Amino acid sequence: MAKCRRSTLVGFLMGVILVVLYTPSANAIPAFARKYETSCQTCHIGFPKLNAFGEAFRLNGYRMPKETEDQIKMKPVSLGSDAYKRMWPRAIYPSDLPGQVPLALNVKMASVYASSIDDTGRTLIKNDFQFPQEANLFAGGTLGEHISFLSEITWGENPDGSTETELERAHIQFGSFLGPEHLINLKIGKFAPDFADGFHEMLLSTNNGIDTLFSFNPIGLHGGAELADSGGGVSLPSNVKGVELYGVGAHRFFYTVGVANGLGVANGNTGTGSASKDAYARVDYKFGGMALDGDTTGVKLPPENWRERSFRVGVLGYHGSGKGTDFPFTDDAGNAVNIQDTTFTRGGVYASWFFNDLNVFGVALAGRDHLNTFDDAGTLENSASYRYRTWFVQADYVIVPPLQASLRYENVNPADHSAGSIRALNASLSYFIYVNVKATVEYHRDLRESKNYDLSTILRFAF
Amino acid sequence: MKHLSIALVFLFAAASLAAGDIHGKVTAKGLRDSANAVVYVDAIAGKTFPAPADHAKMDQRNMEFTPKVLPILVGTTVNFHNSDAVLHNVFSPDACADRFDLGAWAQGEVKTNTFKKPCFAVLLCKVHSEMEGYVAVLPTPYHAVTAADGSYVIKDVPDGTYTVKVWHPKLKPAHKSVAVKGATQEDFEIAK
Repeated sequence: MAKCRRSTLVGFLMGVILVVLYTPSANAIPAFARKYETSCQTCHIGFPKLNAFGEAFRLNGYRMPKETEDQIKMKPVSLGSDAYKRMWPRAIYPSDLPGQVPLALNVKMASVYASSIDDTGRTLIKNDFQFPQEANLFAGGTLGEHISFLSEITWGENPDGSTETELERAHIQFGSFLGPEHLINLKIGKFAPDFADGFHEMLLSTNNGIDTLFSFNPIGLHGGAELADSGGGVSLPSNVKGVELYGVGAHRFFYTVGVANGLGVANGNTGTGSASKDAYARVDYKFGGMALDGDTTGVKLPPENWRERSFRVGVLGYHGSGKGTDFPFTDDAGNAVNIQDTTFTRGGVYASWFFNDLNVFGVALAGRDHLNTFDDAGTLENSASYRYRTWFVQADYVIVPPLQASLRYENVNPADHSAGSIRALNASLSYFIYVNVKATVEYHRDLRESKNYDLSTILRFAF
Repeated sequence: MKHLSIALVFLFAAASLAAGDIHGKVTAKGLRDSANAVVYVDAIAGKTFPAPADHAKMDQRNMEFTPKVLPILVGTTVNFHNSDAVLHNVFSPDACADRFDLGAWAQGEVKTNTFKKPCFAVLLCKVHSEMEGYVAVLPTPYHAVTAADGSYVIKDVPDGTYTVKVWHPKLKPAHKSVAVKGATQEDFEIAK
């Protein structure tokens, strides 16, 4: 039992390291503020969390709902006059470019005080100035009437001084190119999949992402037991390389379906990699408040654009195959084995309730993984299905516009029952010095062990 | 003496406005400004107007059609200039303008086209696809193009009741019946 507990703590230690090293990037893009000469607050309750208008803007391909020419203060560069549309296909369809290179930078400074327990039961304290912890270079804008794009390059510095640069996102999007406006949009590239709309890490008010949802590793000798340190085998991917269709119908109905690259050979995993693709889908409906396409017909909204009374509920699913991708383990007898997650399925519900200054939202998700265990010679030793359940609930509250609080509870019940449930609490208080300068104090704690926690003070600014 | 001259100028200006003008403002909703709307008196029953002998002028300067919108009377010939140091072309895909194509020509040269039918003809340049201009071929010589603030003045309109129309390249047209008696104000609002 003591061994099991130790194993759990080591798992959580890895989780803490994950939190410190792989904090999610923030998606606040002042390039749009420049284009429209509007404040960040037009789209954000407090960056990076979107308000209802910001959500409509995002879903509309980074264009304002019912956008008019005079709303765009930065005049685009014409790549063909409007009248040239009539010449197509005898001429290339006209387009335009953003008036200036649509770049924006987010910078995050963090002071992290982290406590954890190592393998021997010793308490480790780290008190680290991560100045800067991370910088995100965004490029986002529109091309002509129907195309938009977003890309993000993230640079991060680790506590050991090493740095990492990653193209986190780069996608092109074809908006409303068929049928009624908002109904059919196509996204191609590397992007945050819309099955995580509303709880994706990059748009959370908190600095820490929901690791129990996105970083739980469902692969283990008896099913998953702990959070992943990095790489494949995670519960849900936070970014995918794929193709996604999404849209809004009848103002309030949202859907998305996507196909994405599956698990790959990375981060110490071996094997041939999976040739198959993952698939995902989600459907939602929003009751009350501003509609998902920005429509406000018949709705009385308060002037404070972070407030509304609404309820959004949806179901989401993800299915994939990790056949051919080996995850190395050592079995109970000390032998090296490889585990493949041959098929995995996730199904869950999402709900978000806005009541004036309060937003309570959460996800409950169940996962099923069919794990094949092979010995060193490649002989199948074991084949079994495992199930795990995870859920979180988060409450965000605007105390006064510059001061915002957040509290989150996370829980995973792994398939490996000997590991016990992983429970965590995340609390944060943010103060907006300016609309684009945010100071946050955030506390994250393992509810199973009082000495596993971290306290971060973060200064984040965007321009 | 200087003050007397200024006073006379204002007096003549006021007298001129009183002698049958239609003036006012056009509000182009949703656009950056209200420029380039054509306000014109529609065809008047029983009245025709001979095409002017003088040619109108449309220039291509700094990679733009200048003016952006040129209103003319039916039958007017337009001289198309090229003031840029690059080749330009002018063509129109509109049937009402006989889908003319003037080919390409260099700086300093002039090409002409006569617009024989009422039309709002788009002008495009095959060399520079971002260029866009318009010739509004109208049934009467009573017309004006709005300034950026939407203001317009149609001068020398005889007293009477007319249908006054507004056309804009990007917005839906509008019209009103206007009784002109001296200086007459009429405002319009146009939208998508």
